[in-house]
Amino acid sequence: MTIKKIIKILNCQVIVGEDKLDTEVMVGCGCDLMSDVLAFIKPEAMLLTGLSNLQTIRTAEMSELKVVCLVRDKQPNNDIVALAREKEIILLATSLPMFEACGKLYKSGLMGHTEYYK
Amino acid sequence: MVEKRDITKVQELVYEMNVEQVMIKDIITVGPNNLMSDLRDLLRNKRISGVPVLENDKLIGMVSIEDFIKCLAEGKMNSAIRDRMSCDVEVLYNDEPLVQAVEKLDRLGYGRFPVLDRKNRKLVGIITKGDVIRGLLKKIEVDCHEEEIHRYRASHVFEDIVADKTTLTFQYEVVGKDFNKAGSASSGLKKTLRRMGISPKLIRRVAIATYEAEMNIVVYAEGGEITARITPREIRIEVADDGQGITDVRKAMEPGYSTAPDWVRELGFGAGMGLPNIKNCADVMNMESTVGKGTQLEFTIYLDERGKNDSQNNN
Amino acid sequence: MILKTITEELGLEVKNAGVDLASDVTGAYVSDLLSDVIANSREGELWITLQVHPNIIAVATLKDLSGIILVNGRQPEEKTLMKSVEEQIPLMSTGLPAFQLAGRLYRLVEEC
Repeated sequence: MTIKKIIKILNCQVIVGEDKLDTEVMVGCGCDLMSDVLAFIKPEAMLLTGLSNLQTIRTAEMSELKVVCLVRDKQPNNDIVALAREKEIILLATSLPMFEACGKLYKSGLMGHTEYYK
Repeated sequence: MVEKRDITKVQELVYEMNVEQVMIKDIITVGPNNLMSDLRDLLRNKRISGVPVLENDKLIGMVSIEDFIKCLAEGKMNSAIRDRMSCDVEVLYNDEPLVQAVEKLDRLGYGRFPVLDRKNRKLVGIITKGDVIRGLLKKIEVDCHEEEIHRYRASHVFEDIVADKTTLTFQYEVVGKDFNKAGSASSGLKKTLRRMGISPKLIRRVAIATYEAEMNIVVYAEGGEITARITPREIRIEVADDGQGITDVRKAMEPGYSTAPDWVRELGFGAGMGLPNIKNCADVMNMESTVGKGTQLEFTIYLDERGKNDSQNNN
Repeated sequence: MILKTITEELGLEVKNAGVDLASDVTGAYVSDLLSDVIANSREGELWITLQVHPNIIAVATLKDLSGIILVNGRQPEEKTLMKSVEEQIPLMSTGLPAFQLAGRLYRLVEEC
């Protein structure tokens, strides 16, 4: 699924990465605990999280993620935006809560972890 | 070749770079008493579209190809430049950020601006849209090229060393309780390993394990140090902190076991998965802790065939 | 939709067997941050989380949530299980990750 499509489904604001909206993600992952993200997420996944701090971007950097979407109207501060830009990580924000965001993406065909890596 | 991702880079560069870095310094000028007909060869041979007019080293006007054509149409090529130039000259200063130049070029629709030195108001250059674009492209190229050089040099570092055994050591200081700086050591190590040409899969394992260890220092200690020792065969990471120490090391290794305070849990860490994560990423891991003194953690990731059998971890 | 239907449809394992599953589920809230759940979840919602700490039961009680589903194969700590029995908060677990479980539950809630 392209970032473009995701933006449409979740009515996202693009905070970093306006020029990379053709990027594809294969799997969705909704999680607020970074160790769990580090333990099982793969580079082709998009992270949806309600956690908006610098470690969210650091975690994405270490796991080689291309996209992070902040849910429930979390506006990142300037430091977070700058780090995402430096690490070339696409940063989106939606006002939807996590449940609705996951639900809508899943309904539109984005797979979960155990489905994609069967 | 300019790629899409370079566009944001350009946006940053127009703020970072200044007018002086892209302007043409080798300027052609005319005097006010020269005749308009003198411009003919200048405009044609030098392929320039406008010339600053100087009197006693002071910029007093600009004369453009449009002025020249008008004069030609009126048949007044013998008039002095002083009478045909535009005196109301918009200028830029050498230390202004490029974004000012872009904005001014765009807003006023002029093809070029003379550039003055901020201090002595003397003409030091001239800038056109083309100069801005050329300057930006060159900078992007240089930046890309520099990273390439870093990568080339770092990836060949072992080849140039004559020794029976070689170990590269990198050290990173970690400040406790500083949640904003946390992760910068791991980030630096990751960047270095990438430059060394180590496979992305292995880098990812090193980065994740080191990051978890770094977070542990930040959360549980006042400070610590991460040392990476790299040989052609393996990467060994040693993590030492001055924290409280761990009472029950075996229990600390159990997934989900945590003594993290609430503030840490609310920041998305401290759910008891850190050490199991490190163990999963590493080929070998060892931890020793003395209560009241601190903790030493050590793990190794193999770079040669010993590391290929890494099916136990799914990173 | 009542909780019993959801546990059957999604194949959830009920950890505190015998707990009342007749309560009506009004929606769901997915979060691993306790303060977030305290601040933003609503009465009757099912809470989907990775957290297994005993505090989750206190939060669910405080916010009158209809139950807790632990994802990614997480198992409750012993103390958590004990408290869930005490407070009669339905506590379930699944091997699915949060994204997938939320996706399936969203579809289920939408259908009815």
